Amino acid sequence: MNSLFSQLAVLGSSLTLIFGLMLLWHRSVHAYTTAFAWQSVVLAGIVAVVAYFERDPELYFVAAMLLWLKAWFIPRLLRRMEEPLGAEQELQPYVNTATSLLISGLLVLFAYAVCRPLVALSHLPTRAGMPLALGLIFVSLFVIASRKKALTQVIGFLMLENGIALLAVLGTYGIPLVVEIGVFLDLLLGFMVMQLFVYRIHETFESIDVEQLGRLRH
Amino acid sequence: MIFVLLLLTPLLAAATAALVKPYRAWVGWLCAALSFAPLGAALWLSARVLEGEVLTWGPGEFLRADGLSALLVLCVSFVAALAAWLGPGLAVEDGYDAAERRSYRVFSNLFAFTMLLAVTAHNVGVMWVAVEATTITSAMLIPLHITKASVEASWKYILIGSVGIALAFVGTVLAYFDFVNLAGEQASALNWTSLLHSAPVLHDEVLKLAFVFVLIGYGTKAGLAPMHTWLPDAHSESPSALSAMMSGVLLAVAIYAILRWKIVVDAAVGPAFTNRLLIALGLLSLAIAAFTLIGQRNYKRMLAYSSIEHTGLTCLGLALGPLGIFAAMLHLVNHTVTKSMMFLLAGRVQQRYRSTEIAEVPGLVRTMPVTAGFFAAGMFAIAGLPPFGLFISEFALVRAGFAAGRGWLMGVVLVLLVVAFIALVTHLNRMLYGDPPAPIPVGERQLWALAPAGLCVVILVILGLTLPSPVSRLLNKIVEIAAP
Repeated sequence: MNSLFSQLAVLGSSLTLIFGLMLLWHRSVHAYTTAFAWQSVVLAGIVAVVAYFERDPELYFVAAMLLWLKAWFIPRLLRRMEEPLGAEQELQPYVNTATSLLISGLLVLFAYAVCRPLVALSHLPTRAGMPLALGLIFVSLFVIASRKKALTQVIGFLMLENGIALLAVLGTYGIPLVVEIGVFLDLLLGFMVMQLFVYRIHETFESIDVEQLGRLRH
Repeated sequence: MIFVLLLLTPLLAAATAALVKPYRAWVGWLCAALSFAPLGAALWLSARVLEGEVLTWGPGEFLRADGLSALLVLCVSFVAALAAWLGPGLAVEDGYDAAERRSYRVFSNLFAFTMLLAVTAHNVGVMWVAVEATTITSAMLIPLHITKASVEASWKYILIGSVGIALAFVGTVLAYFDFVNLAGEQASALNWTSLLHSAPVLHDEVLKLAFVFVLIGYGTKAGLAPMHTWLPDAHSESPSALSAMMSGVLLAVAIYAILRWKIVVDAAVGPAFTNRLLIALGLLSLAIAAFTLIGQRNYKRMLAYSSIEHTGLTCLGLALGPLGIFAAMLHLVNHTVTKSMMFLLAGRVQQRYRSTEIAEVPGLVRTMPVTAGFFAAGMFAIAGLPPFGLFISEFALVRAGFAAGRGWLMGVVLVLLVVAFIALVTHLNRMLYGDPPAPIPVGERQLWALAPAGLCVVILVILGLTLPSPVSRLLNKIVEIAAP
């Protein structure tokens, strides 16, 4: 029983990480949005699995919120942005695809090293997925730092949030509900402000390439 | 009741401004008048805390205010009141249209609310939610005038700020993980007092890892180097009243979050670990800021870098034992008063000269004599000259460093302070004297708007000449909390 639980947790975490890695070799916003939406579906699935095995009704609610917000609402808004902005592809990131994949591999290894005390300490059946969650966090940070289009950075940020949510559910079976709701609210508002700013960058600079954002120095 | 006054009045003001369409001048006056309610509540709260109470409110002690919270609540509500009285929306001519004024009133009140919530929340998770919300509410105000520069600044701010803060959440989750492993799932587990209570038996390595994440995360908000890159842009491109709030108290709120976590981690692993990290980041910020100040061409960016310098100093102070914490907290108060005043004055200068370049605003003494006087006083204060409060707190901080046996470190700090001093005074000199450009009108307008600046200078001089007993008692309470 428990081994099925832990296998599902590891399988789910691996899938979320793979969806995160997809940002590295795809170029179009459409593919990014799809990857993010599916990643969120898997994340909600993991939360539901934990809810089932732990008989925790609160977590079903969290899973439903995740599904609504991250797998449906935000992807819908992202799809709407494709129309005016999708033509701009991530053609020349600061780091090319091959090197990006190599670096991401190293980052996941690093996450395993950092997580050793955590995994050793925990006695939850889900613990084996924690390094993968931290790996997703590191890879998302790398995406934000190495990609040039504002929209790619936003999706990197959304995946970073998914990584943190995954870490929380695997390590602690979910943070207290009041904090969880606050986090959802922040994420929703934060995303909407970011979206507004992406449109503004597009209007003011006629492109969403952040390389142009270099006027303010010293 | 105190908490209701403190937290609900900013919300009420924001709601009024949001609902009244189109913007009317009385909304601005109403918001300004309402800004006194949190300030009064803060004074009341501090008085009760000084009597030895710890105030709590709500189910599961949702809000909690001890000495440390009281100090921050005072700072936040003071600066919020300043910004409400001097921000866009009251004066007839301030270069903003009705929509911009309305949006300023809505978001500045929400910004104040989120900061007040951050420093009174008992649950460190809720504290995180509130700090993250400060990023969102303040980012909305940076591009009040949409220009290329302000759009750029707001993008950098929201992206770097959100990512940084997300890392602080990783730290929070890791600490919660540690707690849950030990004691099982509990709703109160993220309450600061529960964490502190169980800290001695928590797992060292995990807490250390958590603190690294927390420090990077909240350090980004506090403008600690090397995560400071958003700060000069955001502080220089925002409307001056918002700069005053961000520079004056948002940095202090981030320092507050770091200190809360430091107390928990210290209880588990001893202070040596956190002190080493704080000294490293503090010294780096101080050094980068001091040397960047030399080449500054823009006076608002100069003030922003000076904020990084003082945040670095505060962090150093936190790592220097009880005396250092006392000095650091005093420094934080002094910096709040000075920097908020300076950004508001800089706003006046910018409005008159329509430029933020140091080279383009000469002759301040002639065009705006009173503003120039206050500006000079403020510059001397942030450069660390007596008789202003910052001199005393810097002095106390360096003395605490020598007492803690860190003579070499203090030597380096003193050299960096001298570098910053020379840079600041040189820039000030270029702004005050010289011939003003021909079309700039001479003479002060709206002198009443300078009264708050006068109040700030008075507070600074009082804090520089003596340490009033309530202040020192409040600071001692903080030292008791932070270095038991």
